[in-house]
Amino acid sequence: MENLLEVEEIHTFIGQFHILEGVSLAVPRGGISVLLGRNGAGKTTTLKSILGLTPPSRGRIRFNGKPIQGLPSFQIAALGIGSVPEHRAIFRELSVEENLRIAERRKGDLERKEELIFRLFPDLKRLIKLPGTKLSGGQQQMLAIARALVPDNKLLLIDEPSEGLAPVLIEEMMEAIRQLSQETTVLLVEQNFLVASRLAERYVIIEEGRSVQAGAMAALVDDPETIQRYLGAA
Amino acid sequence: MTDLLQAARHNRTRLITLGVLALLFATALQGMDPEEWGITVLRGLSVGMVTFLVAAGLSLILGLMDVLNLAHGEMFMLGAYVGWTVYVRPDTFVDVLAPLALLAGGLVLLPVWQNGLGRCPLQGLAARVAPWLGLAGGGALVAFGLGRYPIAVWNHRVYAESPITYSLALSQGRLAIPPPAAWESIPPLVSLLGILAGGILLSGALAVWRQRRPVAIPGRLPRGPLLLAGGLALLGLAVHGVNTPLTELLFGMGSTARFFLAMGVATATGLLIGALVETTLIRPLYERPVYQILLTLGLGFVTVEAVRALWGRPEFTMPKPALFAGTGEGCPATSLGQWLVHRCSTIFLLGGRVRSYNEIFIVAVGFLVLSGVWLLLQRTRMGMIIRAGVQDREMVEALGINVRRVFTFVFALGVGLAALGGTLAAPSIGLANDMGARLLLLALIALAIGGLTSFPGAAAGAILVGLLQQFIIKYSAIGIRLPFLEEPFKPSPPLVPASTVLLMVIVLLVLPQGLFGRRE
Repeated sequence: MENLLEVEEIHTFIGQFHILEGVSLAVPRGGISVLLGRNGAGKTTTLKSILGLTPPSRGRIRFNGKPIQGLPSFQIAALGIGSVPEHRAIFRELSVEENLRIAERRKGDLERKEELIFRLFPDLKRLIKLPGTKLSGGQQQMLAIARALVPDNKLLLIDEPSEGLAPVLIEEMMEAIRQLSQETTVLLVEQNFLVASRLAERYVIIEEGRSVQAGAMAALVDDPETIQRYLGAA
Repeated sequence: MTDLLQAARHNRTRLITLGVLALLFATALQGMDPEEWGITVLRGLSVGMVTFLVAAGLSLILGLMDVLNLAHGEMFMLGAYVGWTVYVRPDTFVDVLAPLALLAGGLVLLPVWQNGLGRCPLQGLAARVAPWLGLAGGGALVAFGLGRYPIAVWNHRVYAESPITYSLALSQGRLAIPPPAAWESIPPLVSLLGILAGGILLSGALAVWRQRRPVAIPGRLPRGPLLLAGGLALLGLAVHGVNTPLTELLFGMGSTARFFLAMGVATATGLLIGALVETTLIRPLYERPVYQILLTLGLGFVTVEAVRALWGRPEFTMPKPALFAGTGEGCPATSLGQWLVHRCSTIFLLGGRVRSYNEIFIVAVGFLVLSGVWLLLQRTRMGMIIRAGVQDREMVEALGINVRRVFTFVFALGVGLAALGGTLAAPSIGLANDMGARLLLLALIALAIGGLTSFPGAAAGAILVGLLQQFIIKYSAIGIRLPFLEEPFKPSPPLVPASTVLLMVIVLLVLPQGLFGRRE
């Protein structure tokens, strides 16, 4: 079967800066894939380019069999791509419930997904009326992921879910991502190689704006040389 | 309880500032009679509410899209002139309505053009020449059609036909229908269809200019704009058909009803102009904020000159509607009920004379709009998206929401509110070309005091500014007794505008984010 997402040789500029200089990757249906690479390699920009937030100037992106490059972001998202950006970008001025409600694409989406969301993140049920400002860092991250689950998304783009979380919370987060990956495909960006290697089945390494290597995670774990070369540390 | 305490501690500076301000206004009670104090508060609220109608839009637009609309004051002024026209010269309004509806009908076809261009984009020379041809052709057609469409306007050189005469006649209740303008040279239908075709060509030119690189999937032909265009064209033709009876109807209705109609038309005009300005002028410049500020500044100048050219005179007066103009038997009214019966211009309230329009009606409409917009922001999905967008537009877009459409809505809403404010204020302060510039300054000060992008802040800032001004005016009449001065201190008139700036400086020194602003 064809891949859910195919990115071919995209180039992206942010202002004058040529951030992506040829990124290609393929995400098959189901499971978790991870983008690896050093700080500033272009992982986040790759996610944003897929979503059209920083539209690529060259290259092709196909999602679910359809070309999507050049479409406005909201149309790309509406095709079934959910986004969990870095730094837990929840809406602080909105309550937890409103944060979930705003992600609805059809009326009643939240009611349909309520059970799944509260099963993965039982804390949110208790916090539902609180404003976003009152949530702890971990709770905000849970909410950001839960928000992406409200509509029927085929692909979730999750950027740095473990960043700045306590180790206990990281475990919880990984468990949640593992469970939700049974329902949707996940493309992850993760700095923490331990987290990435335990979660993902496939990886793509991005180095200075280019995708340089891809394959099965199991093979990468046994290849300390590559890890050392592209990621700095094992 | 602990939550409450914690919140109080968190907002300590804000609470103290608000407390000090409340205390200041309360101490003003010492210097004057309680009745006078009450009336001054009402006057302050009245000025505050008009300021709020401008400040609300400014703050929403600034918050959501980081656009400082320097033309907002001029939109307030334009609203006043449009309202005045509907109110004093409904015949002109009816005459203008038909061609404008047709022109708008042509312009709203923009998405249809864009869709067509998405399928077969123009390239090279054609893409460069076509829009200019469209602009020239469309402009010529519109000029041709409009130029020959007879619009009954006053002749400001002849006293009997001048706007002043009409205002005077209206306030004395003997407004007569002016003779309708006659058709000359060409059949009406040619003129009307010419305007429609011109509008269609103009939107086509715009579409080519805004053509982007080929879109991967051209959407289906948008049906909304097609229906809207058809509706507008039909409306224009219908209005043209019933021109005379409609004019008679508008002249026949009471001045109160016509005034409410004027407020509605001014708001609708504001909404339309807002939507038009956002989609055509502001939207291409979101990446270039400095250009946007210059653009809105220039738009303000253009609006002032356009109003001066179209309306012929810089200043008008607008008679108060009958409901607020009575002075005969039973006036001043002794209660709100009596006022409704005798339609008095003044009411005995709080032990003093209160003007029913300035101090009651304006304040009431202001509070209605305030709560309406508040409900919109807090209770509707659109409001939720606006509040979320103020914080993080990109994320809202990434959820699959068309933020651009929300931008258009908010811009239109803001301009609509300003235009409503213009008509609302006109009977009290009169019409002048510079009324917008003055109020914009006041609204900007109110925003700075309240916190730039906060809606409650805009309301609080506007009311504070209004109250302060009125109290200074009051004190410049009666003087403040200060313990270390022999004579009472009478603030000089320049202190009225200066006091608001002073308040802004003090508030910003204590609370750099404004009263309700949030730290970035």
